[in-house]
Amino acid sequence: MQRRTLLKLGAASAAVLLVAGGTAALLQPGLAGGALSASGREVFSAVGRAVLDKTLPADEGARQIALNGLLSRIDVLVQSLPPHAQAELSQLLALLASAAGRRALAGLNQPWQEASVTDIQQSLQDMRLSRLALRQQAYAALHDITAGAYFSDPASWALLGYPGPMKI
Amino acid sequence: MSQLKDPIREGLARGWKVMGGALPPAPETLSCDVAIIGSGAGAGITAELLAKAGLQVVIVEEGPLKTSSDFNQKESEAYPSLYQESAARKTEDKAINILQGRCVGGSTTVNWTSSFRTPGSTLKFWQERFGLDGYTTEALAPYFAEAEQRLNITPWLVPPNENNDLLRRGAAKLGIPASAISRNVKGCWNLGSCGLGCPTNAKQSMLVTTIPAALDKGAQLLTETRAEKFELANGKVTALLCRSLGTPGTAGGAIRIVAKHYVLAGGAINSPAVLLRSQAPDPHGMLGTRTFLHPVVMSSSVFEQKVEAWNGAPQTIYSDHFLETQAIDGPIGYKLEAPPLHPVIFASTVPGFGQGQHDLLKSFPYNHTLLALLRDGFHDESKGGQVKLRSDNSAVLDYPLTDYVMEGGRRALLSMMEIQFAAGAKQVLPLHEMAQPYTSWTQARDAVNALPMKPLLTRVVSAHVMGGCGLAGTERQGVTRPDGVHWQLENLSIHDGSLFPTSIGANPQLSIYGMVNRLAQGLAARLSGRGVTLT
Repeated sequence: MQRRTLLKLGAASAAVLLVAGGTAALLQPGLAGGALSASGREVFSAVGRAVLDKTLPADEGARQIALNGLLSRIDVLVQSLPPHAQAELSQLLALLASAAGRRALAGLNQPWQEASVTDIQQSLQDMRLSRLALRQQAYAALHDITAGAYFSDPASWALLGYPGPMKI
Repeated sequence: MSQLKDPIREGLARGWKVMGGALPPAPETLSCDVAIIGSGAGAGITAELLAKAGLQVVIVEEGPLKTSSDFNQKESEAYPSLYQESAARKTEDKAINILQGRCVGGSTTVNWTSSFRTPGSTLKFWQERFGLDGYTTEALAPYFAEAEQRLNITPWLVPPNENNDLLRRGAAKLGIPASAISRNVKGCWNLGSCGLGCPTNAKQSMLVTTIPAALDKGAQLLTETRAEKFELANGKVTALLCRSLGTPGTAGGAIRIVAKHYVLAGGAINSPAVLLRSQAPDPHGMLGTRTFLHPVVMSSSVFEQKVEAWNGAPQTIYSDHFLETQAIDGPIGYKLEAPPLHPVIFASTVPGFGQGQHDLLKSFPYNHTLLALLRDGFHDESKGGQVKLRSDNSAVLDYPLTDYVMEGGRRALLSMMEIQFAAGAKQVLPLHEMAQPYTSWTQARDAVNALPMKPLLTRVVSAHVMGGCGLAGTERQGVTRPDGVHWQLENLSIHDGSLFPTSIGANPQLSIYGMVNRLAQGLAARLSGRGVTLT
C-alpha cells in the first residue's frame, strides 16, 4: 500500500541498520490495528518520561497513571492519522524499538525501559541537532506527538493555567 | 454542546439533499449540470452562484458535515474531524506543518477570519509576469465588494485583545505602522475559538452562508466522499469518479458523476492531485508546480501581565511594513500577525523538553506569539513546491525551503523579537531548536544573527496553500486560463487558491472569494445565459 514511503524511510533506515549491524527483517511494527503495539508503547512510554519529565506528577504512582493516559491519547491520535502517516510512524517506532535502530537512530545504548531520563534526554537532544534529516524528523515526531497528546486532556490544563473554553 | 440555533440541522430537517457519512448514502451514479469538488472558499461561492442561475449542482466534499452543535471548542475533537490529516499534514521532508480544513466549508470553517483584498502589488506582478491583463485592482474591486457584502466582511471595531494589542503597541514604539484586520463575522461573541469551528455561527464561513444558499436552491451535497479522478476523452471531462469513505479500513462505495461542466475547488494540494490522478494533459509540465505556502516563522515571548492569547478575536491587528518597504521581487517580504494559542498547538510548538520546556508551558497565560508570513513566489529563488502523488495516490507537497526564503525567516524573527521587546516582553524565544529564551533585544539579535536558518531546525508552519494550477495568459506559463477554465480541458474550471500564480502576500480567503466570484459569474452566464450575483 505505502510502498514508496516504506522504501523511502526503508532506504534510510536500512542504511542506519547496516551501520549498526542489524537487519530490517527482525523489526516489529510500532503500530498494530491502528494503535500503539507493545514496542510502540515501550518507546513512547520512555519518551514521555523524558520529554515531560518536570511536567508529569512527581509521585511515582500518579506518574504511571499520567503516562498510561498519555499512551491512550496517542492511540486516539494515531487513529485519526491517514494511512501513509500511520505507516511511517509505525516504521519509525519499529526502528526505534529494535536494539540496532535505537543505537543508530537515537544513539541510546540501554533498552528504553532501562534508560534513565537523563540518558533519554541526551539522546533526544542528539537527534534534535543531528545533521541527519531522518534523526531530526524522528525527534520532531516524538516531541510533537508526546506534548500535543498530553495536553489534549482537560486534566492537564491546570498546569498551563488554561481555564478551558468559555461555556456558551 | 452549544444550545444555540443550528441553521444546518434546521436545513437538513427542511429536506436539504445531503448524503454520505451518517446521512443516507449517495446513489452509485448521479448526473447534473455542474459537479463541484470541494466545499471551501472557491467551491462555496461557485455553488451559490450556479444554483442561483438555475443550474443543477452536485457538491463533493471529502470531509464530514460538522455544525455549531458539534463545535465544542476542543482541539482534541476539532483537529481530527475538521482538518486535513488531523492538522498534522506535512511537506514531504516534514519541515513544514500545514493547517488546512477538511470538512464542509473547507478551511473557511476553521480559519481565523482575517480578510484582505489581494494587494495591488501582487496583481501588478501577475499582469507583468503571467499575462493576466484583466487582473487589475479596479476590475476586481466590484467582485471583492460583493463578496464583502455577502460575507459581512467589515473592519473589526471591537478593541483588540491583549495578544493583538501587544503587536500594535510594540510596533508603535518602533514607528512601525500596524492596522486593524477586517473579519467575516456577524454578531461575533469575541470567544477566540474560530480555529475550532465557530460555535455561535457568527463566522460567515461557507458552512453557514453559500453552501446553505445553494442547498436551499436544490443543490446536492455529498459529504465524506472523496473525488478520486476524472475520466477524460477528446479534451473534455466525461465523468468524475468518487468514493464514499465509509468507516476506516473498509473499501467504501464507488460513485460516478456525469456533468456538463466540472469545477475543481479542493484546495491547493488536493486539486492538483485530482488532475495528477486523472493523468490530465500537462504539455508544459506546470501541473502541481509553483505551489506556495506563505511559510511562517514564529517568535514566542513572555510578559509580566496576563495575555491569555486564547481569549478574544484572533488576528485583529497586522503590519505590512516589511512587505511595503522593499521591492516585491527583492529580498523576501513578510506580513506580521498575532495568532491565537490553545493548549495542544501551544504545547506541541513549545520547543525542547525537561525543565526549560516546563517553564515555557507554565508561562502559557503570559505568552504572546507573533508570526511572520513570508511572501513566496516573487523571486527566482522562491519557486515554491511541487504537488506529487504517493504510491497510494494520496497527495504530498515537496516544498524546498531555500536559503533565500530562510534568510527572510531570519529577518522576520529579528523584526518580531524587536517588536516584542518594545511592547515590554521580559523574555523572547524565536522558535528554532538551537535558540534559548533571551532577556534583552541585543542578546536576542546577536543570537539570531548567528543561528543556522535551516529547515527542521527552524520551526516553519503554513495555513495558506496556494498555486499548483496557476492562472496564466498563455498555456506555456500555467494550467488555467484567465477565465478559470483549464487550458487543455474545455469543460473543467478551477476555482480555488490553486489558481494563484504566486502567493498573495495576505491571508488568502478574500482573494479566493473575490476572484472566484468573477469567474463563477462568467461561468454561470456561459452555462445558463443568466446573470447572477452574490448580493
